[in-house]
Parts: sequence; C-alpha cells; structure tokens
Amino acid sequence: MTAPTTPPPARDTGLPEEARRLAAPWRPPGVKGALTAVIVAAAVFWSASGAGFSATALIEGAPAMGSFLSRMWPPDFGKAATIVELLVETLQMAVIGTLLGALLSLLLSFAAAGNIAPRPVYLAARFVLNALRSVPELIFALMFVSAVGLGPFAGILALTVGSVGTIAKVYAEAIEAVDPGPVAALRSSGAAPGQVIAFGMLPQAAPLLTSYTLLLFEGNVRGATILGLVGAGGIGLELTTALRLYDFGHLLAIVIGIVLLVTVIDRFSAAVRARLTA
Amino acid sequence: MTALDSAVPAGGPDTAPGPAPVVDVSGLTVVYDTAPVLDGVDLTLVPGEVVALLGHSGSGKSTLMRALTGMAPVTGGRVHVADRDVTALRGRGLRALRADVGHIFQHFHLVPRLSALANVLAGGLHAAGPASHIGLFSREQRTRALSLLDRVDLLAQARQQARTLSGGQQQRVAIARALMQDPRLILADEPVASLDPRLAGNVLGLLSDLARERGVPVLVSLHVVALARRYADRAVGLREGRVVVDIPAADVDRAAVRGIYGADTEFGTDEEERP
Repeated sequence: MTAPTTPPPARDTGLPEEARRLAAPWRPPGVKGALTAVIVAAAVFWSASGAGFSATALIEGAPAMGSFLSRMWPPDFGKAATIVELLVETLQMAVIGTLLGALLSLLLSFAAAGNIAPRPVYLAARFVLNALRSVPELIFALMFVSAVGLGPFAGILALTVGSVGTIAKVYAEAIEAVDPGPVAALRSSGAAPGQVIAFGMLPQAAPLLTSYTLLLFEGNVRGATILGLVGAGGIGLELTTALRLYDFGHLLAIVIGIVLLVTVIDRFSAAVRARLTA
Repeated sequence: MTALDSAVPAGGPDTAPGPAPVVDVSGLTVVYDTAPVLDGVDLTLVPGEVVALLGHSGSGKSTLMRALTGMAPVTGGRVHVADRDVTALRGRGLRALRADVGHIFQHFHLVPRLSALANVLAGGLHAAGPASHIGLFSREQRTRALSLLDRVDLLAQARQQARTLSGGQQQRVAIARALMQDPRLILADEPVASLDPRLAGNVLGLLSDLARERGVPVLVSLHVVALARRYADRAVGLREGRVVVDIPAADVDRAAVRGIYGADTEFGTDEEERP
C-alpha cells in the first residue's frame, strides 16, 4: 500500500506559460475590455439624460398612474359585441397584410440576397428596404387612407408595406445563410437559376422563413391594433374614441380584448415555431 | 492484385482502338495568378471505365475535375468532354454540358430537408418542365427516380428527409441523383473521404458496378491507394499539376506510390491491405 500522493503544486503543471494563464478561472479585463465598458456606460448615460429619464419623476408620479388605472376599473363589457367584431377585423387585417407582405418580401429578398443577386441589384434592393424600414407604419397608413379611403383596406396596405420593410432583409439573410454545397451540386447538374433557388435554397431556408413569417404575423396583430388611430381599420379607432370620450370602462374592456388576442396569437405562433425548428 | 481488374479492358494508353473516349484531354494547363496548378495534363476516359485520380492535396485533382466542366480557367490545351470542346462553351452550352456530367461530392451535398426521392429528382431538373419549380415532376421522371433509389437499395427510405439518412445512405442517394441526370460522365471528388472504411468500399463498389453496367466512365479522386487498386480500372497520379503515373490500377506498386506521393511515403499504410 502506498500513501496517497499529494496533488502536485498548482504551478507545476508542465504547461507552457501561455497555457497556464488560460487556466486561470478569472482574468481582469484588458485595456480593450475596460475601454468598451467605459464607452457603453457613457452611451447609456448620454441617452438617459438626453431622453429626460428621471427616476424621481417616475416615483413621484406613481400615485397619478394609480388613479388613472383605478378610474378605468371596472371594465365595461357593455359593448362586447363591437369589441369582438373589431378584434376579428384586426386579426383579418393582420392575416392578409402578413400574407401579402410575406409574398412581396420573398420576391424582394431574392434581389437582396448576396448569393443570388448581382452586386448592383443587391445594393439597390438593400437601399429600398432600408428606406421602407425607416418609415413608421402610421405614415404608410395615412398615405393609404388618403389613397383608398378610410377603413381596413388602407390598414392592410400599410401592414403589407410595413411588413416588407421589416422582414425582406431578414428573409434575404436566411437565404444567404443556406449551405452552399447543395446549391453548387444543383448548379453542377445543369439546373437553371430558378430551379436552383426553388430546389437548393428555399427548402434549406424554409424553416427560418416560416418562423420569421410567424414572428411578423405576431407583430402585425399588434401593429393592426393601432392603425385605427388614423382611420385605417381595426380596433384602434374604437380605442381612441373611448379615450377621447373618457369612456374608461369601455377602454379597459378593449385593452383586455387586445391583450387576449395578442396573447393567443403569440402562444399559437410560438408553439408552431417551436415545432418547426425542432 | 485481384483478377477483377483485368476482367474489364482498361483504357490505358496502349489499348487497341475501342469506343470513342468521353474525356479527351491533352496538354491541359490551368494557371491561377502565376503559378500553374495543372501543367500539361493528358487524360482519356472511355465508356464504362473507372479511373482513380491520386495525389496530395494541392496536386491539382480538384482543379482537373473542375476544368472538365468549365469551372476552372483553362489557360492552354485541349479539353473535350462528351463530344464538346469545353473551352468554347458559355452559358447555355455550358449548362447542357454540366447536365451531361454527374457529380459526387465528399460531403454529399444533398438538400437536407428534401426527401431522398426529391433529391434524386433534383438530378433531372435540367430536363424537367417549368412545373418543377413547384416540385411537380412527371410520372415517368418519378418512376425513374424510384427505380434508381431501388438500384442503390434505398427505396424504403424514398420519403425520408435526406438529413436523417446515414452518411453512406446519403452518398448512395447522391449517386442516384447523379444517375438521374443520365450522365455521360461521372466525376466523384473524394466520395468516400467522409465515410468509414466499410461504407467506403460499399459506395465505391456500387459506383464502379454502375459505371460498368451503364457504360458511364467514372473519374474518382481518392486518397486511399488500396481503394484505388480494388475498385478502379486505371490509376492516374498527379504531382504538382503533372501526370506522373497512368497505369492499370492493379499495377500500382511501391514505385508508383512514391512517384505520386514522394519518397518518404510508405506504401499501403492507409489501408488494411499490404502486398
């Protein structure tokens, strides 16, 4: 029987100096790390002071928020039928707006994918998408209201254009991320460019594309609830009207309805996405 | 040295005039930047023969294969493949040539989420109508794809997603896809480098059987000399862009291997077979 051997002293591992430093559980940040931390902190402070963020105002204002909320209580479901009808209309707007937006986005994303489009087309498409993305959906809604009149159709058009701005670039990036091997294999077998996209790229990108489309749909359901502000259909108009008439019970009922709708859609879409990416 | 190899007439340099060659390359030179990657390569392949391409990484094996389908810039020499002058082809003509050449890749390159059947059908895209864009193929095409899957023993897996198949199965689907093109030549770039030795033999055996039974020549790059000796009719060795060996595969010996890989290479170290 031999006596249990004591572990060798920590330093005496036979590893070169470089490797021993890697073994240390914690290392102080280097110059670069410290500099990054300072810059991030400065940016946060600059933004908070510029945007008038004030913890004291928030705390002092808390009672006012309470009284606002208490005035809304209890919810008044007297016009539940109207609310349901408008929620359904909101959902329908989101469905069609997402569908049209996704189709347009898919077409545009081919032009915005570096592995499909030639460089000039790619740059032009990216520029258009950036421009679309930087315009708020409400502006599009105003534009379409003046074009096709008040109502949900204007809202659908606004959602469609807004969707393209949001999602086409993401689609393009999903397409760019496909494994180039199968694509090269199809090209080398004499397939035409359209066939290469249809057979080599889209099947590979499909799970991501579908997942992003569902996320877009979730966003559009929420987005459709405010388009009514400018008369572009959905429940938004009822919401602002209730607010203007100080009909707080009705207002709260509407908000509860929106929360329910958005929650149901988010749950549903999250479940589908989880199955897709599994 | 097995008797199997001598059963098939090898299309070596001094065979009697047989069928017209499918690959007819002479003096092929490819220069990238200023360094020649291929330097005066001669190569012929006749229908039904399996030619193993041996050589170090960087010896020009892949470039030679790419040059055969117009994917490497040919700076000099004559490259005729399937009765076409490759160097003169552009656009549509080049695509027609590529449709005539089946490729097998080291990493299979199947579309992972498509079924085995859809992957095989994809090999016939060049001959498919516009409906193929949405995945529609004729009954004849589907039947042909299914019988090819049957030939590679994967009919039962026809509806399975390619990514769920094992490596050996995926490479067999890739072989079926290449055959779906009804190719006049098959190029296989390290087709078994990602497979374990048993599957490697399995895949190479299938490939050489199909080459003989359909009269399609196969140019296959390998880095296991023993596999070349067992499954190929002829071995072509490249070294620094030149053909240093072009002999019946059964005649590959120590001297040939040293010629290809250098003096310090031990013969047969990379496989079980030692003569």
